[in-house]
Amino acid sequence: MLKPKPEWLKNLFPWEQKALKVNGRTMAYIDEGNAAARPILLLSGNPTWGFLYRDFIRPLIDEGFRAIAPDWVGCGYSDHPRVDGSLTLAHHIADLVSLIDQLKLQGFVVVGQDWGGPQGVGAALQRLEKLSGLVLMNTWLFTGYVGPFHSSPRPWTTWHAPLIGQFFMKRHKVLSQHGPSVTSRRGITGEEARAYHHVFDEPDSDHVVLTWPRTIPMRQGDRGWADMLAIERRLPELAKVPTLLLWAPEDNVFPIEYANRLKELLPQAQGPILFEKAAHFLQDDRGPDLARATIKFLKDTLKEAL
Amino acid sequence: MKFITPSSEELSYLRADPLLWEQELDVWPQAAEAIEKTVGIRAGRVYWRSEHDHLYALELADQGRGRPSMAMVLGHWDRYEPRPPEHEIDADLLDFILWIAEVCGLDPDDVSRVAKFAGIRLTWPEGSVLRTPEDCFANLPGFPFEPHYVEIEGLRLAYIEQGQGDPILMLHGEPTWGYLYRHMIPPLAEIGRVIVPDLIGFGRSDKPVNDNAYSYKSHVRWVRKFIAALNLKQITLICQDWGGAIGLRILGQVPERFQRLVAMNTGIGGGFSPGEGFMRWRYFSQRVKELDIPSLMRNAVLRRKLSDEEAAAFGAPFPEGSFQTAALVFPRLVPIRPDHPGAYDNRVAIEKLKTLDLPVLLPWADKDPITGPWEAFLRKLFKNVAPPLTIRGAGHFLQEDAGEEIAENIRRWMSEPH
Repeated sequence: MLKPKPEWLKNLFPWEQKALKVNGRTMAYIDEGNAAARPILLLSGNPTWGFLYRDFIRPLIDEGFRAIAPDWVGCGYSDHPRVDGSLTLAHHIADLVSLIDQLKLQGFVVVGQDWGGPQGVGAALQRLEKLSGLVLMNTWLFTGYVGPFHSSPRPWTTWHAPLIGQFFMKRHKVLSQHGPSVTSRRGITGEEARAYHHVFDEPDSDHVVLTWPRTIPMRQGDRGWADMLAIERRLPELAKVPTLLLWAPEDNVFPIEYANRLKELLPQAQGPILFEKAAHFLQDDRGPDLARATIKFLKDTLKEAL
Repeated sequence: MKFITPSSEELSYLRADPLLWEQELDVWPQAAEAIEKTVGIRAGRVYWRSEHDHLYALELADQGRGRPSMAMVLGHWDRYEPRPPEHEIDADLLDFILWIAEVCGLDPDDVSRVAKFAGIRLTWPEGSVLRTPEDCFANLPGFPFEPHYVEIEGLRLAYIEQGQGDPILMLHGEPTWGYLYRHMIPPLAEIGRVIVPDLIGFGRSDKPVNDNAYSYKSHVRWVRKFIAALNLKQITLICQDWGGAIGLRILGQVPERFQRLVAMNTGIGGGFSPGEGFMRWRYFSQRVKELDIPSLMRNAVLRRKLSDEEAAAFGAPFPEGSFQTAALVFPRLVPIRPDHPGAYDNRVAIEKLKTLDLPVLLPWADKDPITGPWEAFLRKLFKNVAPPLTIRGAGHFLQEDAGEEIAENIRRWMSEPH
């Protein structure tokens, strides 16, 4: 059902990729640890996959959690549909809801960065009774504030403009080939960079690197605006959900202003705990430290057994 | 961007290759509307020819939303030819998206900056172009001329320039270089500005190593751009072999730059076999890995014996087999069937040539098995052809057999009123 993982990847990412069908597409995920333990959903964003959370998985299992890292449809080992309409914010949310239902997750925690934030929280809001915690890293859940990276013409708007985006993102794979490696603070190895982009080797398999930027709601009427606004309006419903913000202030995509705005909307949130020497893909730059902070938060706040 | 309407015949010789596929054109309604307004259609294709002479199409589709919803950019390559070098396609596509940026109200400078940041290569990749070391050209007998250089599409093109006045452009062919014209340069430099370029892949010019760098179209483009770079006007074109195949096409494309034509043992094929001699040469040349050019030249020069040094000078540009790509590819670029690459463009050029009344001289070697039959064709093609000038006993490389004699005839012919 799934493409086999190449041998070289097994050293870096030894966990078995499982699969289920969500909304007609195959969604790949890893599911490690005790099946009865508290499920921690590790949600990545554009253009990464479960590999981004490799430093989280072993510590979470060792501390008695169940680590589940799904690859969004369009990414990683999931299906890469060539249909842009199946890669909208609403679709991604519905895909995750389906995974939560099929795995019958109870008392789950959403850990999300980049698109893992709105998509994870969007799904959690639909299964609120089963949600027990949120850990958010360099992401956003609101309209109305757009940072300089997304609003400035360079490079972002130009990168995904009609036809121009096809040239840069698809023909030249500017983001999917180079995103995690160019921004790396830690000095990513060639093999690690390859682990991120080998999933887009098949020609025309990287629609998601264009649909995601085009879903960022900048002004009313944009695709993604209504879906994001629906999430934003329901954030008060999360008031009793323990929440932690982990932040890389050096990330120029989601600078600290985004964390401050999240703090306003989620007053119960702890943090933000700041992690220097990390850029947008902070789980890659500071993985073990972020895992430690996450586990401490989970142990401190979720004392009751499932 | 200048849109054109290619003939259906031309399109039938091309294959379409999707390069950019935009499913979400209307994700940005203003852009979709701006594109529709500028190209003038909501659904269908518009075509343009790029800097590299490649034909591209923008195809728009309308899904009933009142504006174009999907778009595709297609490259059109000659059906029997490999895809052109990727950097040519990238450069052409970048030109196109710069235009899109302008239409959509983005700053084209931002697009250029992103392209630069992304490291998109718009010229020959490292190691894909060879340059013959200058010491290969030490002590060339009878060729004391200083080379000049001009850059064409990132390639160094070498040429000799002697004398003053209206330009006399001498184009060599397969597998030679400007050296072939050495007996004709001094006498003609007395009456005009003699310019002898080495074709890309030959002589002192740069030599891309990959087969797909060379097509009939790319050779024509390089020489046409060379003529434009030097801004040559009132040209007397002297050409032989591929020099004519290229030069005659250019004459058909930009006739306003030329005032006289001297074509020697050459031709312009509309897509038929030039004869059995050529077919034998084509068959042979496509089955060897390397040509022994000095001995090939020794055998082909009939009226005198080429000295060892002279023969070696013809091999000088190719210190190794890897330098010979252009020479090895040339024979198969001759369009020998009506649907072969270049045949259509030649037919278009031939129609233009029929209308020209520039004076034409056809010095022709009578012992050339390869291009012999072309004389009658060219004589019929042009309106204003001088009486036959047969170079008796000479072979295909008549500039070697009788360079001084031909130069003398050209001088006389040029001084006559036509």
